[in-house]
Amino acid sequence: MPANNSAKNSPLRKNPIRNSLQLAWHFYQQQKHHSSQRVLRWVQGILLVFIVTLSQTSASIQAYLSHNLANLLGADLVLSQPLALSASQHAELAAMSQQIVLSQSLTTTLTHNGQWQRATLKAVADDYPLQGELRTATSQGGQENVSAQGAAVGEIWLDSRLLAALGLRLGEQLSIGGHRLTVSRILLHEPDRLMEGHTVEMRALLHRTDLQQFRATDDIIQHRYLFAANAQQISTILQWQKTHLPAAQVHHKHGAHPLALFWQRTENFIGLASILLFFMAAIAMQQLTRAQLQQQQFFSAVCLSVGASKQTVLHISVLKWLFGLLLLLPQVLAISALCHWLLLQWLQAQAFAQQGAAGSFANLAWQPDIALAVKTIVASASIFLVLNFPLWLALWQCSVRQLIQPQRRSISNAVLFGCATLVLAGVAAHYSDNGLLTAMLLGSMLASIALLLVLSWLTLSLCEKLSQPFSGILPFALYMMKQRLLSKTTQILGIGLAAFLLLFTLMLLKDLGDNMAAHQRTHDGNLLVSQASSAQMADIQLWAAQHAITIRQHKPFMYVQLTHINGGQLADVMQKPSDSLATLSRPVRLHWSEAVPGNNRLVSGQWWHSADTNWQQLSVEQEVMTDLGLQLGDRLGLVIAEHYVEFSIAATHAYQSGAGAITFWLQMPPAALTHIKAPHYSMASLELQPEQFSLLGQLWQQHPSLRMVSLQELTQRFDSSLALVTRLISGFAGLIILLAGVVMVSSVHAVEAKEQKKNSIILSFGLSKRTCLQLNIIEWLVTGAIAATGAIVATWLAGLLIYQSQFSLPYHPDIGWLLGTLAVILSLVTGLGIVLSKNSLAGSVRQLMAE
Amino acid sequence: MPLSAFSTIALTNVSQTFSHHNHQVQLFHQLSLCIEQGHSYAITGPSGSGKSSLLMLMAGLEQPTTGQVAYLQHGRSMPLAQLRQDIGFVFQQFHLLPELTALHNVALPLKLRGEKNAEATAREWLEKVGLGHRLNHKPQQLSGGEQQRVAIARALVFQPKFIFADEPTGNLDSKSAADVAELLFACCQQNGAALVMVTHSPQLAARAQQVFAFNNGNCALLENAPLEVQSAC
Repeated sequence: MPANNSAKNSPLRKNPIRNSLQLAWHFYQQQKHHSSQRVLRWVQGILLVFIVTLSQTSASIQAYLSHNLANLLGADLVLSQPLALSASQHAELAAMSQQIVLSQSLTTTLTHNGQWQRATLKAVADDYPLQGELRTATSQGGQENVSAQGAAVGEIWLDSRLLAALGLRLGEQLSIGGHRLTVSRILLHEPDRLMEGHTVEMRALLHRTDLQQFRATDDIIQHRYLFAANAQQISTILQWQKTHLPAAQVHHKHGAHPLALFWQRTENFIGLASILLFFMAAIAMQQLTRAQLQQQQFFSAVCLSVGASKQTVLHISVLKWLFGLLLLLPQVLAISALCHWLLLQWLQAQAFAQQGAAGSFANLAWQPDIALAVKTIVASASIFLVLNFPLWLALWQCSVRQLIQPQRRSISNAVLFGCATLVLAGVAAHYSDNGLLTAMLLGSMLASIALLLVLSWLTLSLCEKLSQPFSGILPFALYMMKQRLLSKTTQILGIGLAAFLLLFTLMLLKDLGDNMAAHQRTHDGNLLVSQASSAQMADIQLWAAQHAITIRQHKPFMYVQLTHINGGQLADVMQKPSDSLATLSRPVRLHWSEAVPGNNRLVSGQWWHSADTNWQQLSVEQEVMTDLGLQLGDRLGLVIAEHYVEFSIAATHAYQSGAGAITFWLQMPPAALTHIKAPHYSMASLELQPEQFSLLGQLWQQHPSLRMVSLQELTQRFDSSLALVTRLISGFAGLIILLAGVVMVSSVHAVEAKEQKKNSIILSFGLSKRTCLQLNIIEWLVTGAIAATGAIVATWLAGLLIYQSQFSLPYHPDIGWLLGTLAVILSLVTGLGIVLSKNSLAGSVRQLMAE
Repeated sequence: MPLSAFSTIALTNVSQTFSHHNHQVQLFHQLSLCIEQGHSYAITGPSGSGKSSLLMLMAGLEQPTTGQVAYLQHGRSMPLAQLRQDIGFVFQQFHLLPELTALHNVALPLKLRGEKNAEATAREWLEKVGLGHRLNHKPQQLSGGEQQRVAIARALVFQPKFIFADEPTGNLDSKSAADVAELLFACCQQNGAALVMVTHSPQLAARAQQVFAFNNGNCALLENAPLEVQSAC
């Protein structure tokens, strides 16, 4: 057969791999300066830098945390729980280990000369520290000393911030609950700080004998037992703990850092948010695919006409893409390494700025993980491969016939959509650890996409219909946009999504801060009591009555520790990190109420009746149910005051606004109180006049362990977290802007040839370049207007949904701000669009003749 | 119509050169000619001889290296920007916008000029070129000959005084080429527009009243006996 012979004898057949490589390299070199290839490099580069930096930073933090665990535990094993060990438990544990040292801690409010500051007191005896160094100083910024023991009886050591906050000096006396202690040293570092590592709480160290003077009930003191033990003893103690003290928290040198899950979750959240980046990249790559298609198909048809096989043609195209990716890697790795280093520097700076916030990252080391980088790049390359698949499919379907009978063969939209969906689903599955959050994020994204699609179609169709009877530039521009609905919609989608993301991240953060502060003031008073014992609450009520202070809410609770789900240990049943799980690993509050509280609504199941004899039932908050994958009827094992009680889930509830902010994850029937003996506490909110805040000192003097926080403090804490998040989000927003720019470039590029031709034809009618420019401006204005409107409406909807479901706050966006945003987006899109359309405006009649 | 009523494009001593690999290539030298409204012209010659460049100069879309291009209306000199509004083009590749129907392609220049009855006028023109039954067809649904008819209607719909055609039959079979040529000449004549064509086809060139023939860098003017144009438009 002549055709077969020619194929067999073709040069490509003699050494196919080498020839394909050479040809691919040759064409890569030829095409690398083409704008479509440049844009493709940008898309792939930005995503690679993002993913590699994220994984490297996360790996550095995890490596640091495991190193930190080994060094900052101050013991081989630490067991902590609210209550002290019984004598028999202590004896058993002592027999299993080499030494046990007890440290007690209590969060309290210290007062001095009318100033107060919340702090954690740590009480130790002469056997402390067990391992590591206890470092102190005798003056502010003075020489650091290693102390062999903790504070002596009658002395207290404060950290320098606490000293400054109370306006104290060394040698002065601090009165706690009527008991006076001398401030003798500045506390710089305790070896067992790991557990406090991620809080911003100020600290003080005193002798255990002094703590007993504060009349603090035993159950509000956290008891931490530090063990010296070998590996064998550690595993024995762990086994023992599972059966004897399942509610206790245990950390040991071979275990996971308590912050590890938190950081895993942070990485997952950022990763999940990156779905949006991938979506935009998918749009950009589809636009590029369309732009390259004709040229690549022509090349393939020519190759086929000279006897090359389809496989060879495909090899060349894939290899060409691979060369592009490989040659991008040195730059990607260098930039990612730099970003990784900068991020770690930033985290360290945050640690210093916030004195212990973010997990004391002062010693975070920059250590690139090459194996991880390779893994990440391979995973990302697979994603790009899938996004490029439609182009290769179109090449596979190409034939010589195309040269004889030129035909427009486009890529099936179903294939493009399928590939993008596959990629996005893969990314979502990889990073998702929380069903509700993933659903909300994807849901709002899908809603905004649908909204943008509908809005584009409606606006363009309607405007085109209405302007049909008229002539002029505007009706023509609208008509042309309607004719190019698909490519225009893609363009609008890219820009609109980017704008939506930016608005969503920046505007919601701004509004959230404002709304939270305002709401708290209106509904919850300006002082929140987060934990008061019965005696303390009685005194608060008396104090409030004396000073005509309103108590807005008052709700009782007891502390419980979730240990089992449907008979299985919590740690065994729950593998995926979530907010709920992180909180439930510590004791949580259990409330009781006859009826559904006013600020709750029943989501599913049935609330108990007063006549109900079954007291072992619970109502669980909806988000906790989703996070932990719980269902009605599931059994939860709770340890309450050292007793194990099993409840079944009878109902789920959700927060609703209007009746105060104090709500509980777990609630039970009041009938259960007759069966459970445990200390009762209260949460309450009060409304104080500004001048009444000075009266708080009196209350704290009386009850140092009373947990109260003022609105001012709350908002300060909130603001500092918000500032941290805003900075992170701003970095992310920078990436979004960059990708939005790339999407615009690629969308302009995809229709550049068509646009150039259109402009040339307009010039051939004797019209000027000014007309072309006017048309271009109108097109970008319409594109920008639809995209911005879509983005704003989507942000508004997402705001409504998220505020309502997450914070139960009404969402009132600032209209002036929205209109301003609309104007900014419109001018930016139009300006950038015109700059990018420079090439398509450079058409001429000469070009039409040359074709 | 008195002579002063006609519009004329006058090229006086124009030369066109361009640089290629540091070599100066001269397309034509000291060329003087006049294009008068209502007449037909053909530009012939081998590829690369400068036919299209001459067309661009005549249309005022390019500047000559030396010499002058003037646009005269009623004997008065007008700015070249005015000339650009009075010309229409017909291309070898038709260059219809693929997204638009035949009707919308023809209505396009009128719509852009803000004319109210754009579509009605376009419909009339399509009927004139024999495509009254193909109004709502898109270019890919039309044959080459039909596409060129649409292009002719589009070029003439806004009543230009000059039509410049670059190889208008170059992409058509002989039957379609003859039909399109017939139509082009008839429409221009009926509309009182000058027709300037670049062509390789001796048959088509023979239909023009004057032929500018390029040969070895020289441009010679040949007068043709006027042919009778059938009233196809």
